[in-house]
Amino acid sequence: MGKISFFLKEAFGSLTRNYFMTIAAFVTVFLSILVLGGVLVFVFTSDALLKEVEEKVEITVYLKNDPDPEPDQISAMQSEIAGWTEVKECIFVSKADALERMKEWFKDNPEVLDSLSGNPLPASFEIALADPQTVDVVAARFADNPIVDEVKYGEEIADKLFAFTNQARNFMLIFIVLLGIVAILLISNTIRLSIFARKREVEIMKLVGATNWFIRWPFLIEGVTVGLLGALAATVVVLVLNSYLVGRIRDSIAFLTVPLDAVPYLLVVLILLGVGVVIGAVGSAIGLRRFLKV
Amino acid sequence: MIKFEDVTKIYPPSTVGLERVTLHIEKGEFVFLVGASGSGKSTFIRLLIRELEPDRGRIMVGGRDLATLHRWKVPYLRRNIGCVFQDFKLLPNKTAFENIMYALVVTGNATGASKKKAAEILALVGLGDKGDRYPNEMSGGEQQRVSIARAFVNHPPLLIADEPTGNLDPDTSMGIMQLLYRINKTGTTVLMATHDREMVDRMRRRVIALDSGKVVRDQKRGGYGED
Repeated sequence: MGKISFFLKEAFGSLTRNYFMTIAAFVTVFLSILVLGGVLVFVFTSDALLKEVEEKVEITVYLKNDPDPEPDQISAMQSEIAGWTEVKECIFVSKADALERMKEWFKDNPEVLDSLSGNPLPASFEIALADPQTVDVVAARFADNPIVDEVKYGEEIADKLFAFTNQARNFMLIFIVLLGIVAILLISNTIRLSIFARKREVEIMKLVGATNWFIRWPFLIEGVTVGLLGALAATVVVLVLNSYLVGRIRDSIAFLTVPLDAVPYLLVVLILLGVGVVIGAVGSAIGLRRFLKV
Repeated sequence: MIKFEDVTKIYPPSTVGLERVTLHIEKGEFVFLVGASGSGKSTFIRLLIRELEPDRGRIMVGGRDLATLHRWKVPYLRRNIGCVFQDFKLLPNKTAFENIMYALVVTGNATGASKKKAAEILALVGLGDKGDRYPNEMSGGEQQRVSIARAFVNHPPLLIADEPTGNLDPDTSMGIMQLLYRINKTGTTVLMATHDREMVDRMRRRVIALDSGKVVRDQKRGGYGED
């Protein structure tokens, strides 16, 4: 009889025999992973929302008006800006475009437009960034450009926004770590209970001359199996609930485009299953430790 | 086979388990360890299989000094010592056959021949047809036979029995004794702790008597009490 098949037989034998403990451990893992999964999905979704808010941070570079820059100066500048790695998109808004927009905004108050003589509006570049947090660096490059009149990017709002989003991310990270610790404690306690019920069994095994690892393997296989099954069930519930809730939110808050694809599902599934396996194994190892000291 | 040199074991805070015990047991001997409850019999046995470690003195088993034995080697020591207990210590979820197989698989070199070996030893203890029974389906005497079969299946040089007949009626006890006697005949050293006065008197073997942790008598062909 091979050792591995012996261990497997031992593990699954006692899983079915001690079915009450198996169910208790399963439920503990299931609930812990369910909460963890919920938080993970929330974190990914809200992170996507934060990113979307951050994307709204743009730099507007107003060019000098009188005299207007030469067209080749403008196109040279545009291709220079477009060449920067931080820049995602750079749109040139000509004086005529700017006037068009203004007409659009004030179409209900045409008298405002009538009071304008000629076109006083400056041309501008509207720059979207790949990483919005680089806004300060990029804006600073226009400081002594001779054809630039003014750079606007709402520096105060941007700084506050980034401070908030960074803090929010840190909080969520800490929360996840704490939750993981709580789950491990909870599960190792449950497994310890189940092992305590089999204390005598372990004693006998030691008396017959079983090494610690010989005793440990079946328990580890049990722990990992329960962890994996609990995680699997929780993962399914998390995914189903998520797609349902995101659908509901999307319907009710139309202006917030909640990205359904913001959650990297494969990653979440792998994390949850991985955590299930780890807490199952660590839980049974911790639970078994004191009984192996005979 | 067994050497105790000035061995003392104190259970904290100050209960004496064994006090300054020195004795030798030769290979192939059959030895009774007698004494009232609390006289140190169990301490003696637990020291032998290194469930406990002495506070003073030296214990040698099969030429090995237990004090210098690494923790991870303890299981290998125990495979060379068959143990039989008053409460049988059978795994409740395994059949008689599986209990014996466990002792074989534990050694890590269980093979196809192991099953044959387990079946043979079951037949040897007179349970050839009850291999598929669970412990709770067997009588006390039958369970003790399984436990002896398990202890002996690896042919250990030393077999320790702690009150093996403690829970059994006289007739059944006699059967168990005969089994131990036969095992001793194969060259295995047998050390048996017991309360069973009649049995000890009938067998006329070496008797070591303990009282309050001290050896008070060591007689070549002794009885339970003083002659």
